[in-house]
Order: sequence, then C-alpha cells, then structure tokens
Amino acid sequence: MRIAVERWMEEPLRRFIDDSRVRIVLLLEPSGRVLAQHGFTRSIEVMSACALAAAIHASAAEIGRQLDGTPFTALHHPGARRQIFLGALSTSRGAYILLTVFDDSSSIGLVRLYFTELGARLAAAAPAPAATAPAPGLVDFESDLNRNLAKLFGRI
Amino acid sequence: MKKTPYAELLAMLSRHRGVVGSFVVSERDGLAVDSNVQIGVHSDAVAALAASLHRKARLACGAAGSGTVTFLRLDAERGGICAAGRDDLVLVTISEARANLGLLRVEMMRAAKALT
Repeated sequence: MRIAVERWMEEPLRRFIDDSRVRIVLLLEPSGRVLAQHGFTRSIEVMSACALAAAIHASAAEIGRQLDGTPFTALHHPGARRQIFLGALSTSRGAYILLTVFDDSSSIGLVRLYFTELGARLAAAAPAPAATAPAPGLVDFESDLNRNLAKLFGRI
Repeated sequence: MKKTPYAELLAMLSRHRGVVGSFVVSERDGLAVDSNVQIGVHSDAVAALAASLHRKARLACGAAGSGTVTFLRLDAERGGICAAGRDDLVLVTISEARANLGLLRVEMMRAAKALT
C-alpha cells in the first residue's frame, strides 16, 4: 500500500519509518493538506490529525516569533507511553510538516537524528517545482484533501 | 558556560590514548547529557544510536536471564564503542583501534558507578 501521495516521497519516508521505529507518521503541508501517512487506519483520523498538526505548528511558530524573533520549527511532547514529535522540513517543493508518534521502541534522540536525514533525503529527491500555481481556495483545498486521502487509503 | 557534574569524568576518559569522544547519554531519550568529543565526531548521532544499542542489550540480557548489563563493547574495523550504564544514564566512549581497551573498561566501570 502506498504511503505517500507523490512517488518521490515514498522511499525517504519508508526509510525514516524503518530506521526510527516510529509508530505513526504524517507528512502534510502547513495548510493541513495531507501528503503521506503511515499507521492510521481511517481517513477521518488523518483529517483530524492534519488539522491539529497544522494548528500546533502555526501556534508554535508564532510563539517562537514573539519570544525569539524566529519561528520554532520542532516540538516534542513526551506522554506516559507515547510521545509526539512535530518538525518542519524544507524542500524545493516548499515547506512540509512531519508529525510522528513513537513509543519505547524509539527515542527522541533517534527520531531527531532520522528526521534530519529525512529532511536531506526529501530535499534531494524532490523534483523541480511545477510552474507557480495560485494558492488554492477553500473548495480546491477540500477537493485536494479528499483526493489525497482517497489515494492514501487505496480508493483511487 | 557552567560545567555539568560529568565534565571531569568525561575529560578523564577522553585523555586515554585513542579515545576520540566520551558522552553521558540518557538511555530513554537518546540525548547526550554531556560530552567531550574531538572535532568531527557526530556526537548527537552516536549518542542516540549508542543509547538505543545499550537499551536493546539490556532488554536482551533481561530476556536471556543474564541480569543487568554491566559493560557493552562493539568492535569495528577502525575502532569501537564501549558503553557502561547505571539506571537511565549510559557512559559511552568512542575509541580508535590503538586504544587500550582493558584499561578503558576498568576506568569506565569505575566511572559508571559514579553516575547518578
């Protein structure tokens, strides 16, 4: 089953998942549109997680700007059994956000290490950006989101 | 910058012949608490991977009924990695092939007892 909407993302993401031993991965645009997922079983969960991840990232970036003058780009939240890591990646195709959930099989040190490698691999694998497209409107956004979810859950 | 309680211990290990870096790492997080490394050593990566290795060795020894891991040594072509843990903290050294591993082991076992 494919894990990414675009083929060039597949190999770097699969390698990240294998190396870091994380349970859940979500790659999305800062707008909240999903690009890749691993570990979810229902598309509705992906939609919720994308919306929350985009909101957390935007809030953290703004707090960073206000406190430090530059946006915070990574966030780690350890829970009792599971932990989340949220980090920003940059490629020639634009900025992406990675949300990942892991447990005792991994550690924040390993996740940070392989997250850095993932960023380099995605940047190297990214094809040249397509001609500049206008920012999607709300209707386009929703149809894009639904199309991506359908691809990831094997409905297309 | 203020020194951590481990600075002297790490400096002592790094003075050994052939030792190119030493760390105190949190086993659970895989993050270096303190380190003393030569330029060119990728300390974050070694800390994360060595902590993971130590954790797996501890689990393997537990599953095998061998008890607590006291010392872990990984030999490689041009050197190796040694680790000695106590509770959540792991003392890690990276050494070249010319290092005196017997002496290093004794010093690390002694130093690991001081980890809190």
